[in-house]
Amino acid sequence: MEFKTIRTDAVPEIRLSGRMEFTDHDRLVEIVTELHEMPGSRVVLDLAGLEFIDSAGLGMLLILQEEAETRNTKLIVRGAAGDVRRSIELARLSEIITFEH
Amino acid sequence: MPVPALSLSDCRVLIVDDNEFNRKSLALVIRRAGITDIAFAENGREGLAAVDRFRPDLVLLDVDMPVMNGWEMCEALRRNATHEELPVLFQTALDSDEEQVRCFEAGGSDFISKPIKPGECVARVRHQLEKRKLFSDLAAFRERVQRELSHARAMQTSLLPEKRRLAEVADRYGLTLDAHFETSSELGGDFWGLYPLGDRRLGLLMVDFAGHGITAAINTFRLHTLIDRFPMHHVAPSQWLAQLNAALKDVLPTGQFATAFFGILDLAIDTLTFAAAGSPNPVLGTPAGVKGDGPDIRLLDSAGLVLGASRRAQYVDRSFRLPRGGFLFLYSDALIECGGDELGPLGQDAVPDFVRDALAKDRVHPLGPMMDSFYARTRLPLRDDLTAVWVARRA
Repeated sequence: MEFKTIRTDAVPEIRLSGRMEFTDHDRLVEIVTELHEMPGSRVVLDLAGLEFIDSAGLGMLLILQEEAETRNTKLIVRGAAGDVRRSIELARLSEIITFEH
Repeated sequence: MPVPALSLSDCRVLIVDDNEFNRKSLALVIRRAGITDIAFAENGREGLAAVDRFRPDLVLLDVDMPVMNGWEMCEALRRNATHEELPVLFQTALDSDEEQVRCFEAGGSDFISKPIKPGECVARVRHQLEKRKLFSDLAAFRERVQRELSHARAMQTSLLPEKRRLAEVADRYGLTLDAHFETSSELGGDFWGLYPLGDRRLGLLMVDFAGHGITAAINTFRLHTLIDRFPMHHVAPSQWLAQLNAALKDVLPTGQFATAFFGILDLAIDTLTFAAAGSPNPVLGTPAGVKGDGPDIRLLDSAGLVLGASRRAQYVDRSFRLPRGGFLFLYSDALIECGGDELGPLGQDAVPDFVRDALAKDRVHPLGPMMDSFYARTRLPLRDDLTAVWVARRA
């Protein structure tokens, strides 16, 4: 998985791409660091470039949600499509995380 | 991580040199660095014998010697698998590029130039010995972890229903029960079980902890102890799953969770009632009607908040007719997510046809052909645990 941070005047964004899976745990640490350094009270996590997510990847989304909560940032996850969207819906993560399509 | 300086006092060094003055002065240099266990040889042939006898941790090897020179000795050493990793430090007066390359080609680890400079000599000896120590520590560690992993795999498998138990339950309830379970190379978090609830009802549980590795496997042990705390007899599957969810939320850190299917098959009313927490879609088959030519096969909705993510999670019960001749097929996500080099992963939508094809090959025990076709297309070792359970009511 790759990620890119976009700091705009509006809401900052973290864009994920590739495959988000078990082996990406080190990346997660980097993303959490980015998240903590972002200004403002809202952050968008863009999954449009993500091709695949496994159960470990879903767990990482839950971790990012908790990290955002602990620093009072509203995390908005958007752009999930195809199999990624399907996996997220199957696991009903929308009960915990805010998704925008 | 910084590595603490290695004590050289328990290292053994063999010095091979035909010149007595060189042997003595080299010994003096390394003795000052704390190495006291030193043996000597005067040519390559004696050196080879000394390696076998003395088992050094490092060889300081001269190049130009009678009988057998240093390069020949080193090449002979490297041909023997036992000494493949033994550090060999050439000491050479030949400082042409070609000669030095020759030292490496012969299998040398490094070289020091003559005349010997004590500081450089000790530094290079220490470097090689530390590398050897780290290497053997890592190799020992890896071996230990692998032993423990295979032990843990066996323990994880022991939590699951045995063949004999499957046969007992199948006979009691008039079922055909087949199961396949394979842990991934790195351990996984799959679990499944059968729970007789009186003479006409049978509980079926399948759980898959996120990720794999030792953490996921440990979670299956946690689960196993939790299951006994919540009786299944008088609660709806959704309530039972909600209880399990709350208990798992207490023990699982954020990011760890499980998908689950829990169903109760009631033979008296030909009904399967289940609640699900994001498990892959189960496959339900019902016998064809009067004019139909095959069973009606479909995927069941199994969306639900995964277990252990939120204390407030609610689950819903879904009921379906499962009469004689009907079947239920449960599986973990490895079945649809693991692919091979030529064909990608099977994917959720292809599962009904996957089942249909297997039924055409073996109408009573389709799990065999399903697994054959899965393993034919999938790269091994598996990246995740694979569990597949076939439950059919005898016609």
